[in-house]
Amino acid sequence: MTPQALPSLVNELRELQAPILAVMLLGACAAKITHAVQTHSLAAGLGPTELFPLPARRPAALIVWTCELALGAALLVTVPPAARDGTGALDGAATDGARIAATAFFVVAMCALIELRGRRPDVGCGCFGDLSTRPVGARSIARPALLAVAALASIGGPGLHMPRTGTGAALLLALLCAEFLVIALLSPEAGEALVRLGYSEPCEVRSIPARRTLAALHHSPQWPQRAGLITSDAPSDMWRELCWRYVVYPGRLDGAEADVVFAVQMKPRRPVIKSAVVPRPAPITSPADQTSPGNQTPPEDHAPPEDQTPPETSADIGAAQAPDEAPADLAPGTVPLSAMPVSNTL
Amino acid sequence: MLDQGGHVTCRDGSTGLSSTGSSSTGSSSAERAARRRLLKAAVFPPADGPDQIPAADRAAAQSRVLAGTVLDASPHVLTILRAGREERLALMPDTKAWRGGPADLTAVGAGDGVVVRLHPSRRGVAVRIWANIGRVTGVILERNREGVVVEAGEARGCQVIVIPRHAESRIQVRFPRLEPGYLIDVIGLRRGGIIEGLIPATSQPTYRADQMLRRSPIGGRPMARIGGSATWHEPAGEPDDAEGVFYSVLDQDMGCGEQLASRPGCVRMPYLSIGSLLEVRNECTGDSRVLPVTGCAAVTRLFSDRCVTCGTSPRGRVADLALASFVGLGGELERGCFNATIVTGP
Repeated sequence: MTPQALPSLVNELRELQAPILAVMLLGACAAKITHAVQTHSLAAGLGPTELFPLPARRPAALIVWTCELALGAALLVTVPPAARDGTGALDGAATDGARIAATAFFVVAMCALIELRGRRPDVGCGCFGDLSTRPVGARSIARPALLAVAALASIGGPGLHMPRTGTGAALLLALLCAEFLVIALLSPEAGEALVRLGYSEPCEVRSIPARRTLAALHHSPQWPQRAGLITSDAPSDMWRELCWRYVVYPGRLDGAEADVVFAVQMKPRRPVIKSAVVPRPAPITSPADQTSPGNQTPPEDHAPPEDQTPPETSADIGAAQAPDEAPADLAPGTVPLSAMPVSNTL
Repeated sequence: MLDQGGHVTCRDGSTGLSSTGSSSTGSSSAERAARRRLLKAAVFPPADGPDQIPAADRAAAQSRVLAGTVLDASPHVLTILRAGREERLALMPDTKAWRGGPADLTAVGAGDGVVVRLHPSRRGVAVRIWANIGRVTGVILERNREGVVVEAGEARGCQVIVIPRHAESRIQVRFPRLEPGYLIDVIGLRRGGIIEGLIPATSQPTYRADQMLRRSPIGGRPMARIGGSATWHEPAGEPDDAEGVFYSVLDQDMGCGEQLASRPGCVRMPYLSIGSLLEVRNECTGDSRVLPVTGCAAVTRLFSDRCVTCGTSPRGRVADLALASFVGLGGELERGCFNATIVTGP
């Protein structure tokens, strides 16, 4: 690049600021409007509006939208050289006026964010709607400062012309990309947007109805293997934990009551299914029970678990025995175990 | 509204203090939770995770909090009735008390419900006392001359907040919309079935409870650790010093039957069930504990706030701790929250 080409490149770079700023302003306005439509609230999530009293928040939000829309449009329509040269409907004064107004807007935005950070450190800037929910940080403040400098630099610049040589065009394009990269680095929203683009729902949060889980279980190869042990059509308990839904059926193992538990993976198709058989604890017989022979065996839910240490495999489960003594410390909510009582009524 | 016993009757006729709702209380639920853990462990033999917390740590943390009713208070000794037993606690010159605000120890009197944090190394010495502290979190149903009626979830039903004149401005700065449909979270003095609202526990969301913000997708990354804020709730039909955590995302088919649970939450969190274990870490003190999920905290899904107890937490409430668990983890009840991270296990 010759030394003579440098001023031309700088001028073109100055002129490029106007469309960049216009894109930023119109994008921010569109994101805010989308957010407002989604939340049915004009002021919801628009950071600096939190600084205003409640009745003033809606008008403040509308003023911000209007400014962004008007400035974005003004910067865009004054980009062509005709606007700068005065040969079109607009003249140079209108072009510079739009850019001065944009500079003032970004300076005010920067000051508002500094104030917001001091008074409401928990609130996001709301610059790009619900993408801007992170608390205002140094990056959020540096961005309007950079944009204000860009707007200032564009004042008085020549009209935007296409570069005459391929090298010049490539250089201009590289500078344009570099500027967008800097803006992206200063934008907390960039990371949020990338996450949304690559979004896939983890199994822990995937919502699958219980009836689908049961249907998958009943059509799985594990079901016929355990079906002979199961004594009821309806599960006695069912719960969800992270990527698995657990289904428990009452059953019998070697003549004793047992629970047949299936773990079904939260996957829409062909879920992994694991199973085990766990003997039920023998019912505790109270002295009152011993004196009244007509008493029924208490339901399973009211009986303490037989063993806190799970069997290693389902094949070993039948051999699981209750410990002689309860452990000294149990997790909160865990029922302390006592030695298994021997019922005299049996 | 208020009956002669100070109980609150909702418009649908349910009674605030008598309703047990979906919270898991009583020994049968604890047994069922223990049985679930046993069955789960039969399918998936335990590995390193929240289940493996050293028992000594749990016991040490559990013994640091007492809750009961004051029988007698002198400048040096506090006698409380706890689980049918009298307990005498020594008061030191640096013991701090709260009773609607920082108070002298003499302000705590017979009949007050207290939560006491004990000295970590000196047995029977009170470090911090909260007297008659209460909290109401929920959706405003109506506001009238008697106060603000709040739907606080199935476990607590409806509650009434009475805002005294001297606290009006403080509450209304943070909760400008005391109108039906908006959220409220207030800490104050409990007087029977009503709360004298004194401290706003957060800032009011700008949206109505039925206009919850769309959740941010979190991508396909694992959700083992989630940051946010941990809040506390009063015991509902359970012992004053019951341990546990109410969790906001329970399996809708089998867990949380509350109407609020069907609404989108602020934070995407994995599904758990009653009895699941959750490690909660106080990021401000470094304390962490493994707690069982004992109930449904559907209303906490609706808050998209941050805790600023130490720095700024990520957005959203990740755990609604039982009062004793909150204090045991080093939380200050009058602050309402602490920055927390939860670990949902392997």
